[in-house]
Amino acid sequence: MERSYSRRDILRMGVAGSAGLVVAACAGTSPTPSPSAQASASGAAPASGAASPSAGQPSASPGPLNFLTWSDHWSQPGLDRAKTQAGIVVNITELSDNSDGFVKLAQVHGQLDLVSADALWVPLYFDNGLVQAIDINSVDVASELYSMAKQFTFWTRPEGYLGYPWGWSPIQIAYNVAQVTPAPNDWQVLIDPKYKKRVVMENQPTDIMLMSARATGAKDAYNMTDAELATAKDWLTKLKPNVLKLVSQNSETVAALADGSAWLGTGNLGMPDRVKDAKGPQVDAYVPKEGSIGFIDSEMTVKGGQNQSRVIPYLNIAARADLVAQNFIDNGRPLFNEKAYQVLVNNGHKDRADRYLYNQPEQALNMTLKGPGGRVQDYIDTFNSVFGG
Amino acid sequence: MDVLEGMPVSRYARLTRWLFRLWGLIVIAFLYLPIAFLILFSFEDSRTIGLPWAGFSTRWYEGLPQNPQLLQAVGNSIMVAVAVAILATVIGTMAAFPLVRAGLRFPNAVRILVTMPIMLPGILIGIALLIFLTRVFGLQLSLLTVVLGHLVFTTPYVILIVAARLQGFDRALEWAAADLGASPPRALREVVLPLIAPAVMAGALITVTLSIDEFITTFFLIGPQLTLPIYIYTQIKFGVTPEVNAMATVLLIGTLGAFGIGAAAYSQGRRLLRLRRRRS
Amino acid sequence: MTVRAVGGELASPPTGRLLPRRLLRLGRFWPFVPAAVLLVALFFLPLANMVVYSFWKTVLFRIVPEWTTANYVRFFANETYLRTFLKTIVMAAVVTAAGLAAAGPFAYFLVRYLSRRWQRVILIATIVPFWTSYLLRVYSWQIILGERGFLNQALMALGIIHEPSSIFVYNNLGVFLVLLYVYFPFAALAIYASLEKFDFDQLRAAQDLGARPDQAMRRILIPQIRPGLITAAVFVFIPILGEYLTPNLVGGTEGVLISNLIVNFFRAAQIPAGTAPALLIALFVTVLLVVFRKYLRIDDVVTRV
Repeated sequence: MERSYSRRDILRMGVAGSAGLVVAACAGTSPTPSPSAQASASGAAPASGAASPSAGQPSASPGPLNFLTWSDHWSQPGLDRAKTQAGIVVNITELSDNSDGFVKLAQVHGQLDLVSADALWVPLYFDNGLVQAIDINSVDVASELYSMAKQFTFWTRPEGYLGYPWGWSPIQIAYNVAQVTPAPNDWQVLIDPKYKKRVVMENQPTDIMLMSARATGAKDAYNMTDAELATAKDWLTKLKPNVLKLVSQNSETVAALADGSAWLGTGNLGMPDRVKDAKGPQVDAYVPKEGSIGFIDSEMTVKGGQNQSRVIPYLNIAARADLVAQNFIDNGRPLFNEKAYQVLVNNGHKDRADRYLYNQPEQALNMTLKGPGGRVQDYIDTFNSVFGG
Repeated sequence: MDVLEGMPVSRYARLTRWLFRLWGLIVIAFLYLPIAFLILFSFEDSRTIGLPWAGFSTRWYEGLPQNPQLLQAVGNSIMVAVAVAILATVIGTMAAFPLVRAGLRFPNAVRILVTMPIMLPGILIGIALLIFLTRVFGLQLSLLTVVLGHLVFTTPYVILIVAARLQGFDRALEWAAADLGASPPRALREVVLPLIAPAVMAGALITVTLSIDEFITTFFLIGPQLTLPIYIYTQIKFGVTPEVNAMATVLLIGTLGAFGIGAAAYSQGRRLLRLRRRRS
Repeated sequence: MTVRAVGGELASPPTGRLLPRRLLRLGRFWPFVPAAVLLVALFFLPLANMVVYSFWKTVLFRIVPEWTTANYVRFFANETYLRTFLKTIVMAAVVTAAGLAAAGPFAYFLVRYLSRRWQRVILIATIVPFWTSYLLRVYSWQIILGERGFLNQALMALGIIHEPSSIFVYNNLGVFLVLLYVYFPFAALAIYASLEKFDFDQLRAAQDLGARPDQAMRRILIPQIRPGLITAAVFVFIPILGEYLTPNLVGGTEGVLISNLIVNFFRAAQIPAGTAPALLIALFVTVLLVVFRKYLRIDDVVTRV
């Protein structure tokens, strides 16, 4: 199974096959693995080294930068500043899922320059030759980061650091204080028959499988054994009658908690405030005691990006403490810029920042991090079996 | 407005007419009910679209001009939809003629093949095209690739709807025009096109409807740009705010206004034309 | 004199200059060429590529050319998929029936009782709401149909119910209602395009000759607008088989349709595993269309005469 193929090989074969060219012949002679640099395993090619743009702090040449990211990774003031200070015109494309971004980047490569991804997806991008490592300590703005954010082991490779750390959040359970008593502290409350049709969760099958792994105490959430998977399936089967809906956006969870149609919801940090803002009932949130899952976002430098030289200069402008502090106020989840925490404290937001764990970045490592799983197809199949029509 | 006005009508006919009008009204209400709520919640004060009502505010409208990304996304969406509508309507209308008339050996087979692009989930078409366009044709992703992607699943609608109209189309009219000495282009312009116009219009409207809100194929095929659906559908982590309701409301009013002005200009133009013709 | 009409077919028996037969045949098809190029280059070839991928494995999120039928076998090995697929077909059929039943009279109302100008005004008014975001409109439906929603409040205010009911949304009924809403304009436009050319004098003539109104409808009107009705049915039934947004947004855990399960594979970057069941469904629908093709066939009545 360790065989690897370059994208070109695969495509060539696909096209050949599609043209109807002797399908049987293709099947008979299994293609020779091509150990291309693109598909080389981790650490096997230290030669490529850290990317040149991070080697110094080159002044950016004016021009475009193509950025595939989430809506909470950029702000208009940041883009404006990049344009006025360095003439960098940032073209934003937004993505919804890690997998979408992965599929797309694998096809377009250098048409993009900067791409965002979650924790354990990052090494996958790297191992597939889609992104390149940077020398994080030579990035000017990285001096504003919590030092622990520059030392995540899963982002550390001989070639350098795999991405620029942006923000993080655990998945919490938010609950209606008046309706859910006693105050819960674990995952099991979600399968309590008292709360039939009162639970809202985000429609991310892989995440829900990871949550069920946490809830049922599986050893390795990503690689449950068959027995663990069966236990997780039973748990999901008990969960299903309680689920009002699986939502596609966090705002739907907030809306359902606010209008009282749901009493329990899973989502990232900050739901109580958002429900309050929507004039909903009092809601509290907690990280379940069995442990939770969560995301750590990174900005990755695309290998062969057409405008790669502008990546670091852009970050040096748009990831500055003042902009990050504003980003925190707008989106309400912790970021890794430590200096921005000081900005928040100085502006009277300490209470809110602490409530959102801004000053406890080490908490990020207590989560089962989002990433591509080992038994994905079995997980999805199990999820489908339970949640099928 | 009533075509039957001034004719002797039985009580039965009057009752049917009344019932049909009632049904028309119910349908329009059904279609506009969610729009009313969409507009209402563009004035919602909180960040979350939904009940309870958190208070009235115009802040989302005031914020629109300060969001060039959103405005550009809207512009891109409109550009793509217009291009797709024109291309799909022309290509589809042309294709419908041989499909119905040319005596194809397997008309149903062709018809079924044409139907296939609307059979598959958009995500499959999006990924298939992404792989093919970038790898085989080596295209840079851009709004052009988005237009190509949209053409794939919109053109079949136009083909099918125009073909349905052409079936049972009275060829005798065309022959008559020919017998009276009309050249083929003239017969096309003055006899055929007016007769299929409702279907062509319906096809164009369907095309715009499908294109302007397509998310998943757009996501895979777009370059470093945004369209409105991409802007909206990707707010996964924190969710959409009433800002997009405000944008949608502005768009809706703009569209209706454009249609109104277009219709007025059209009828005005025709009146002028008629006057001039009468004078000469 | 030879006159070629649109589409290149001979308008009347050729008398003068004769084109070589083959050229003539080709000439008939040229308007189809752009569409054929479009569909072959941008749909069938990419799709063929995906057909090959569907027999390959995914290893570490990459498509690897090792042949397998596992992606197809899964569909039959786990009864969830077939069950959900059958349910999807039932849902699509029910929505199609309701869509035709709602759109037919609406189109009839337009054509019969309004001037041509007003027909267009109403038609455009019908479709323009759909040029706003689908997601936003469905959020509106959630607000209307939800347990604390507008409909419940209205029914309670009218004294029809006393407790807020949760039967309107996050179940099959919710999916049905919203699908009907989403696909209604397509059905209405398809039927309208066909009905608009109908000569209502024929109905009156039939009735003058003693036919009851329903007989006149069945024997005169329906056969002539059948192409439009079939097109409308196709526009509703077939896309619903690929629908996953609506069930996702208003279906709760009950209203799941087959494409939701398929999309779950794509969303985990398991492209072959998602492609295979999608192709199976397309294959099934194609077989269905082939089997029932004689009901699809509507001959060009007039030219045959």
